[in-house]
Amino acid sequence: VAASMCPDKAAWRRRVKSEYMRLRQLKRLKKVEQVKNLFRSNREKIEEQTNILNAEWCKLRIQSIPLSPSAGTCTVEFGFPGFKAQTIAVRPLSTVTGMPFMYSWSPLQHNFMVEDETFLHNIPYMGDEVLEQDEAFLEELIDNYDGVHGDREGGFISDEIFKELVEALSQYSDHDEEEEEEASTAKMGKTEDEKVMRRSSVEVRDLSSSKRIPSDMIFTAIASMFPYKGTTEELKEKYKDLLDPASQVKLPPLCTPNLDGPFAKSVQREQSLHSFHTLFCRRCFKYDCFLHPFHASPNVYKRKSKEIRMETEPCGADCFLLQVEFIDQNVLRSQRSRRRRRQPRPTSSGVPGPSRSAEENKDGDSDRETTSSSEGNSRSQTPTKLCPGDDDGEQKACCVVQWSGAEESLFRVLRGTYFNNLCSIARLIGTKNCKEVYEFAMKEFLIHRVPLEDGGILPQKKKRKHRLWAKIQLKKDNSSNQVYNYQPCDHPDHPCDTSCPCVMTQNFCEKFCQCENECQNRFPGCRCKTQCNTKQCPCYLAVRECDPDLCMTCGAAEHWDSKVVSCKNCSIQRGLKKHLLLAPSDVAGWGTFIKEPVQKNEFISEYCGELISQDEADRRGRIYDKYMSSFLFNLNNDFVVDATRKGNKIRFANHSVNPNCYAKVVMVNGDHRIGIFAKRAILQGEELFFDYR
Amino acid sequence: MPSARNSGHTMSGASCKANGAVYPASPAMMNSVKKPKMEQIQADHELFLQAFEKPTQIYRFLRTRNLIAPIFLHRTLTFMSHRNGRSNAKRKAFKVDDMLQMVEKMKAEQESPSLCSHLQLTFTGFFLKDEKPSSNSENEQSSVSLEVLLVKVCHKKRKDVSCPIKQVPTGKKQVPLNPESNQTKPGSYPSLLVSSNEFEPSNSHMVKSYSLLFRVSRTGRRELNGLVNGVANENIDVVDAPSRKKRSSSHKDEAEGTETYVAQMTVFDKNRLQLLDGEYEVSMQGIDDGPVSKKRATWETLLDGKRLPPFETFSQGPTLQFTLRWTADTSGKSLAPVAKPLSTRNSESCGPMETRTSHHRTALMTVKESVSTDIQTKKEQASCEPRQKLRIFYQFLYNNNTRQQTEARDDLHCPWCTLNCSKLYSLLKHLKLSHSRFIFNYVPHTKGARIDVSINECYDGSYVGNPQDIHSQPGFAFSRNGPVKRTAVTHILVCRPKRIKPSLSEFLESEDGELEQQRTYVSGHNRLYFHSDSCMPLRPQEMDVDSEDERDPEWLREKTATQLDEFTDVNEGEKEVMKLWNLHVMNHGFIADNQMNQAIMLFVESQGAHIVRRNLCRNFLLHLVSMHDFNLVSTATIDRAMVQLQQIQQDLPEPEMEQSDQTLASAGACNGSTLLLSVGKQGKRTKCGLTD
Repeated sequence: VAASMCPDKAAWRRRVKSEYMRLRQLKRLKKVEQVKNLFRSNREKIEEQTNILNAEWCKLRIQSIPLSPSAGTCTVEFGFPGFKAQTIAVRPLSTVTGMPFMYSWSPLQHNFMVEDETFLHNIPYMGDEVLEQDEAFLEELIDNYDGVHGDREGGFISDEIFKELVEALSQYSDHDEEEEEEASTAKMGKTEDEKVMRRSSVEVRDLSSSKRIPSDMIFTAIASMFPYKGTTEELKEKYKDLLDPASQVKLPPLCTPNLDGPFAKSVQREQSLHSFHTLFCRRCFKYDCFLHPFHASPNVYKRKSKEIRMETEPCGADCFLLQVEFIDQNVLRSQRSRRRRRQPRPTSSGVPGPSRSAEENKDGDSDRETTSSSEGNSRSQTPTKLCPGDDDGEQKACCVVQWSGAEESLFRVLRGTYFNNLCSIARLIGTKNCKEVYEFAMKEFLIHRVPLEDGGILPQKKKRKHRLWAKIQLKKDNSSNQVYNYQPCDHPDHPCDTSCPCVMTQNFCEKFCQCENECQNRFPGCRCKTQCNTKQCPCYLAVRECDPDLCMTCGAAEHWDSKVVSCKNCSIQRGLKKHLLLAPSDVAGWGTFIKEPVQKNEFISEYCGELISQDEADRRGRIYDKYMSSFLFNLNNDFVVDATRKGNKIRFANHSVNPNCYAKVVMVNGDHRIGIFAKRAILQGEELFFDYR
Repeated sequence: MPSARNSGHTMSGASCKANGAVYPASPAMMNSVKKPKMEQIQADHELFLQAFEKPTQIYRFLRTRNLIAPIFLHRTLTFMSHRNGRSNAKRKAFKVDDMLQMVEKMKAEQESPSLCSHLQLTFTGFFLKDEKPSSNSENEQSSVSLEVLLVKVCHKKRKDVSCPIKQVPTGKKQVPLNPESNQTKPGSYPSLLVSSNEFEPSNSHMVKSYSLLFRVSRTGRRELNGLVNGVANENIDVVDAPSRKKRSSSHKDEAEGTETYVAQMTVFDKNRLQLLDGEYEVSMQGIDDGPVSKKRATWETLLDGKRLPPFETFSQGPTLQFTLRWTADTSGKSLAPVAKPLSTRNSESCGPMETRTSHHRTALMTVKESVSTDIQTKKEQASCEPRQKLRIFYQFLYNNNTRQQTEARDDLHCPWCTLNCSKLYSLLKHLKLSHSRFIFNYVPHTKGARIDVSINECYDGSYVGNPQDIHSQPGFAFSRNGPVKRTAVTHILVCRPKRIKPSLSEFLESEDGELEQQRTYVSGHNRLYFHSDSCMPLRPQEMDVDSEDERDPEWLREKTATQLDEFTDVNEGEKEVMKLWNLHVMNHGFIADNQMNQAIMLFVESQGAHIVRRNLCRNFLLHLVSMHDFNLVSTATIDRAMVQLQQIQQDLPEPEMEQSDQTLASAGACNGSTLLLSVGKQGKRTKCGLTD
């Protein structure tokens, strides 16, 4: 047996190899096909654009090029006697001056964060003759990356391929065994019982049909071919694992059904709002923004809620308010466990409205809210208070009104915002009146009161102001060049002390932080009535742009539509850049030129680009240095702006030791951004330079 | 007519040697170098010539261009004001009608300039330098006898061997000898009138040319004295007698010791007027023995048997000065202006005769004028320049070595464009301003001035024309349809700088070598710009469009949509509202929390109809509630937004029918296929991944 196994093993190895090659070949072909399709669709797009341009050009009248007598004629003679020599007058075209080289780039008016690239996307082109040092450079470069795009599967056996390989080989083996059998009978080689055993084993395998595990032979062969992938047993286990999830029912996507669609389900508030909450960037006001990879969820934000007020006026003749005066009692009766995180603040200012007891109730409610939604956040399914089945039963029992899943979900969503203002909720739901809403609410035991109003007038303002100046000064003194990226802090258990990330990175807390509005580390904004362009303005002094939500007197929060703002310290956020033009530089390559004259210290443009990590910048910088052209700009200790692939026209401004512009990293509403300002008065049409160092 | 004359000092870099006196550069250095280095020196010299050749050629070309199509007139420049002969005095009294009169008058004059007028000659004096006037100036006679003959050369007839010549005497006058310009009164100069009738075609002979023959006789004192008395009173009038040729051919003065000088000037040649109004100084030739036969006559200037350079005769030899006028009235002798001893060089060179006036005195005097205004010591040095001649040495420097020195005598013409600057100051100013490819430094010199010429390395030769021309595609020059905006390449400059008094010191080489601050008078877009996306030339009409005004370039709008599409756990309704909202925010660029209420209302306004049509109202409500959860909007805004949305819903045309269809369709599109799509699409991301 051993003797027969040896050539067998070799055969299996060969088989593994050829199968593997075949699979890889298939994969490659598939990939090539994909690339081809992409290429074709790109070509189509380009052709579309070209046709548009061509149509435009066709509209232009073209003046024929005059014959110049001095140029003479051009004669083409043919070797065949039948053809006469062709002569035509030469029309010389005047030379068109060339222009500098440019790699294509995408326009951008705001920084764009990209992730680190662990795979080298392309091997940089170093010219036609690659010098030896270039080769060394490339090798070193590739070492910096996990791999090069495209050759991921080279010598590498992915799970997918592994699975396919095993499957292919197992089919192979069935077929093969029969052949082998015949061959062996012909050769008279094997004993009968061996055959029987074999056959029976095959039958067993056949019986187990789809769920069978291929023979060890295959795994042994694979293991010997790819020793680094593990032993036979390991491979077998892995195969089983790989097989498992495929056979299992796929987990339902964490996708809430569309509330506007026909399959809307009755779900909890958190689930309905989950997508909106998690994807919304509170800093950019956008969903899944380009700049901030992590978005804080809203539940931790304290609600201003002062606006929430009980509606006391009935909304109409059928209003539930006319029927029920017992709501309060109901609410009081609804017993739930209460946890209190915070000590109730001394309400120094008289809170108008509800009584003390109601207040406590509200407090409890908001607490509950917080906990439940944080649970929702962590994606543990909030236990539904009422299972839909029960709900239906009850509905059938006591009311005639049918509630759809969407309506129920919507009610729960709105209840979290409007509380007991059922009239408003009914109006927003649209399809139910407030009486029906009330009845449903009763069922859900969810009649709540308005949560506690956040009271507290700030008594320590004066003190803070003094501290602010000291703080700015301190930051200026010891930070030297250490500027760290700002990340909103979130530590609900303690105030912003030395353990707060904002304090540690010497950043002020911003409005995006989860800390109190009265946090000591918050920047209070300025109260300037002038232009905020001197160090008199605390914002200017702290190298911050005025915050339109903090600085209410300088004009940073007004005139949204006009380009004339009294505050001169909000140009970057408003994008009040100057019109720039692109032309071949007087110094090198391309240059940036200004269209209109500017005053000294006026904002010219923001240096925009991709926001990359320092590590990524190191990797990219190596290549850029080799090309002798770099658009990297250090933003802070954590990030670098790279305008190579994405940017704006200011990226073409050249370096000069005697420049007319300067760059300044400014904190703009929580983001560090690079502003380019005029170092002196600049005339129209001047080329812009700044000191790169 | 005043045409551009080649001054003889016009210089082209390569042919420098040919003009003027050439001195070998720094002979001491040359000697010290050994022979093997000669080649190197030659090569160096070649480089020097090359360096100067190009700008010189450019300026020669520009000179011609400016003559044909001048961009400006030199006389309008402040430092060339002396070239402007007119004053603006007449402007006040000017009437438009006068123009017609003037033109008519001019036409009348042009039609018969010669026929209706007389030729008036007023003689200033006869100059003979080789005598010593100082020794016996008091009692010596101070005049010579002058006879003027009109010589008519007729066309050859068949039998004639030579051209028939008729000489018509026009008169005799006593002309003062070596007069001093300020002594005699203007009215007292002798003058002669030649009737225009003389120039009319006469009898059978076709006259080919008319010329004036001047014959000056200078006798001994007494004889001359008598003659002076005799002839002065005689005042022979022009005799209309073509037949009296015998008499005219004979010499009148046979007295012993008589010296005779003759000169001839052509008045008409082949019906072309050669002598214009002006002041003339004629160089005369002495005749020793009797009349000179015309055949032997040559016009070389001889003095003491030696050849002299052509202009030397004017300072030395006998010359006759007179003023020539074509005048209508015969009586107005006194009106004839007197020839001043100095005149400009613009006078014509007439026929074969040299009739140049010497002008070096002019130059000197003007230099004195300009210099006298100056206070600086160096100027005073300059003022000590020799009065006789102003020599200008152009010293060509290359690599800080003098390579060549070219001398221009009595010449204040610009060597590159032959412009007569008349003054040294003007010349220097002109050189500096008009020929900025070179650097000119003025160095005072004992004999005049030295100008160091070197190549201006800092010359900005950038193209100052229309930048569009550089890149305009061939054949597209006239491809525009209708009016097109163009880049302005000319500018109106109103600059009133403080004028410093003209002084030669401004041309001296500055000691510290500090360059005069080059203030750009014209700033502007004198270059061709390109589109940043396509690298296509930016046309002037596209100048005002800033491609960066777009906050949300198309690719970014597409990107935000694809990014959201990648989520597998976000449903289609949510995605659609999010995309709409993102585009809305990107379009408006909201930056403040307190803008959000307004932003929501704007959103409803612009996208409300779309939201209703796509059946996204509840998702939109979720979005609003979410915004409220983030503390960004108030419930009042939610209420208002939803009310407005409901309003839009009601106002939509045929809402029910269409909407039911649309609802189904859109529901099918974005809801019914939710599962299919989210599975089918290769979603790469989940929202949960973001929060970790």
